[in-house]
Amino acid sequence: MGLEIIVGIKWVPNTTSVNIDPKTGTLIREGIPSVVNPHDLTAVEMALRLKDRYGGRVTAISMAPPSAIAGLEHVIGMGVDRGILASDRVFAGADTLATSYVLAKVIEKIGDYDLIIMGHETIDSSTAHIGAQVASWLKLPYIYYAKEIDYNEKEKSIMVKRILENAFEIYKIKLPAVVSIAMHTYEPRRIKISNKLRAKMENLIQVWTSKDLDIDVNCAGLRGSPTVVSAIDFVPKVPRKNEIFNEKDPRKAAKWLIQKLIEEGLLDP
Amino acid sequence: MSVINQRFDAIVIGAGPAGSTAAYQLAKMGYKTLLLERGRTPGSKNMFGGRVYLQPLKDIYDDFEKKAPIHRWVKKERISFIDNENSTTIEYESTKTTSFTTYLTQLSGWMANQAVNQGAILLTEIRVDKLYRENNVFKGVVVEDEVVNADVVIDAEGINRLLLEEANLVEKLKPNQVALGVKEVIKLDSNLINQLFGLDNNDGLSWVFIGNLTNGIPGGAFLYTNRDSISLGIVLMLEEAIRKLDKHIYKLVEEFRIHPLINKYLKEGRIMEYSTHLIPEDINSLKPRKLYYDGLLIVGDAAGLLLNQGYTYRGVDFAAYSGYLAAKAYDYAHNNGGPTSDNLSKYEELLRNSFIYRMLNKFSGVTELMKKERLFNTYPALINELASRLMHIDYDSYKIMEAFKEVKKGRISWLTLIKDLWEVSRKI
Ligand SMILES: Cc1cc2nc3c(=O)[nH]c(=O)nc-3n(C[C@H](O)[C@H](O)[C@H](O)COP(=O)(O)OP(=O)(O)OC[C@H]3O[C@@H](n4cnc5c(N)ncnc54)[C@H](O)[C@@H]3O)c2cc1C
Ligand SMILES: Cc1cc2nc3c(=O)[nH]c(=O)nc-3n(C[C@H](O)[C@H](O)[C@H](O)COP(=O)(O)OP(=O)(O)OC[C@H]3O[C@@H](n4cnc5c(N)ncnc54)[C@H](O)[C@@H]3O)c2cc1C
Repeated sequence: MGLEIIVGIKWVPNTTSVNIDPKTGTLIREGIPSVVNPHDLTAVEMALRLKDRYGGRVTAISMAPPSAIAGLEHVIGMGVDRGILASDRVFAGADTLATSYVLAKVIEKIGDYDLIIMGHETIDSSTAHIGAQVASWLKLPYIYYAKEIDYNEKEKSIMVKRILENAFEIYKIKLPAVVSIAMHTYEPRRIKISNKLRAKMENLIQVWTSKDLDIDVNCAGLRGSPTVVSAIDFVPKVPRKNEIFNEKDPRKAAKWLIQKLIEEGLLDP
Repeated sequence: MSVINQRFDAIVIGAGPAGSTAAYQLAKMGYKTLLLERGRTPGSKNMFGGRVYLQPLKDIYDDFEKKAPIHRWVKKERISFIDNENSTTIEYESTKTTSFTTYLTQLSGWMANQAVNQGAILLTEIRVDKLYRENNVFKGVVVEDEVVNADVVIDAEGINRLLLEEANLVEKLKPNQVALGVKEVIKLDSNLINQLFGLDNNDGLSWVFIGNLTNGIPGGAFLYTNRDSISLGIVLMLEEAIRKLDKHIYKLVEEFRIHPLINKYLKEGRIMEYSTHLIPEDINSLKPRKLYYDGLLIVGDAAGLLLNQGYTYRGVDFAAYSGYLAAKAYDYAHNNGGPTSDNLSKYEELLRNSFIYRMLNKFSGVTELMKKERLFNTYPALINELASRLMHIDYDSYKIMEAFKEVKKGRISWLTLIKDLWEVSRKI
């Protein structure tokens, strides 16, 4: 009984320490330590809370290079039951379409699932495509910006409260379904040493290559990626100026300020 | 509190050089070993100046020179006495070498990896909250609300020693027992480093500065060449720094970096990293009363096993070697009835018969020297003024003694000078 939950986690360069190569404009990823996409930890937390309430099992999946095992160990440390890493050279260079294709294949192979949970978006690409695309590959309903989920076991359905700019919407959806969780919904729980030990000692992580998956390699990786990055433009830097005018009389200060703005061509005289 | 049903022969707290080496040696001897590190990676929380002495590490790790992350072999050593405009330098260069530069994070990571290759289990992002004790016998560690059991616990937590403090084995650190180090790592092309400092590929420079870079506060400054970066920083005796420093310590590092005699090397550089850390100084007073208890051994900085030789630190090789000896001591205890305090006193014996205690005893006077402010401001100024009189010539030139008498005047008496000279040459 309970819920079989799959949660997608992405292994991303820690953008707080990433620099941009001024010549090529690309991220310098080399030597930058990676982390689990922070919004995905929120998704993991949601999955674990559902498991705490209704029982079941949480499986984390990721498409990434082998170093992402550390990321899967991290979420197993939080309480996830097992991890599956899809890792293969032919997956490299994927755009969102090719990424979601492989993830959908992984989910198909897992087979037994009620709910697929994704993060809001990633910190290194922020397209928020993956949830929707995975849902469409699997022909499942999709709902995003979810804040709360309640499970109705009898009906095999969930009530999802999603957040809009200044309102909530509540949906009832039949399972299986894909839900992505609004960022900052929950603080991810801390790691437990017993869970981390399990991750190291109980073989809870499987690595699947293209051979393990029923995959058309022309749809994966660079080959399966129709997106072309034609150019990257930088927002030009505006040089900042500052001047301080010490004046107690607000009239004089205002006059001075207006005069300055006119001089800078920011106000018509 | 729940007890985890996995049981280990040894739990090592902290994956710095001491802990990683202890875990490596334990795993190598076949013990089921758990190495715990609170940082994201081994060594991500530690920090040092930049140079490590090779020989003790060679004794521990096979093929250390070939496999470890070594940046440059130190073949050039400089000691400079510096003020605002002048510096007088002693330079020693050799084709031979006994030390290398590296990033401590890389070296700690490498050591922890060797431990893992031998079968140790390494868990990162795990902070031990308490040593776990039953009836005065150490039996494991507490992490949040869970206990992990082990036959022996090896405390390699470094100088902050919060666990030992909590267990009442040491007192809170006092400012007069430690120094504060602040460091910047500055990226610089490796060929440029070679050109600027006159080095061949893979050869390194270790450069120590004494003088007013520290604002007259006892301590010094350092510069090390890494593969494609420079580490530079300041070390201050903490008590004097608290008493006398009238600005933030990062200002001192910045003044060092933009000093006209230093800045010329760094024009192409980009600051990559800024860090700060404590260093054990007054070993006699901060060393725990005992380094072995029922079920517990203390190694590395946590045990105060670091040598300040005045012009160089030996922390990493001492830490690693103490970890190695602790592993040997546990092996002995294990084969002789278990890790009781009596059996583990083997560790103390091994330390006593090693270079570690030999050197700590030999250099035990350095701590006192480090408090003599004269050595850090009067003498460097005196040396520079002397050199300046001898080297700057317009019409008349100086004879050595004539110049010396002039710069000495009002600064220091013959008697003090001779006493200081005697003391320095005896203690260092
Ligand atoms: C034009 C373009 C070109 C690109 N080219 C490359 C390239 O050459 N090489 C390259 O490495 N990347 C490339 N990328 C990035 C890569 O395609 C995306 O990072 C990836 O497809 C996921 O999209 P996203 O990061 O925007 O995820 P989002 O759609 O923002 O993520 C939503 C959620 O989906 C889940 N998720 C996302 N990715 C994964 C994953 N890999 N495993 C498990 N769950 C996941 C997470 O739960 C996440 O919170 C490119 C992206 C674009 C837009
Ligand atoms: C500015 C400066 C310059 C130095 N220069 C040199 C030099 O040039 N050459 C040299 O040989 N030595 C130098 N040293 C000294 C050297 O860095 C130390 O002696 C050495 O790192 C000590 O090793 P350690 O393993 O005992 O401790 P550390 O390297 O401090 O490692 C302790 C580890 O324990 C972890 N830890 C702490 N508490 C916990 C906990 N509760 N749970 C889990 N993990 C924990 C920490 O995160 C850390 O990784 C310098 C030190 C400083 C500060």
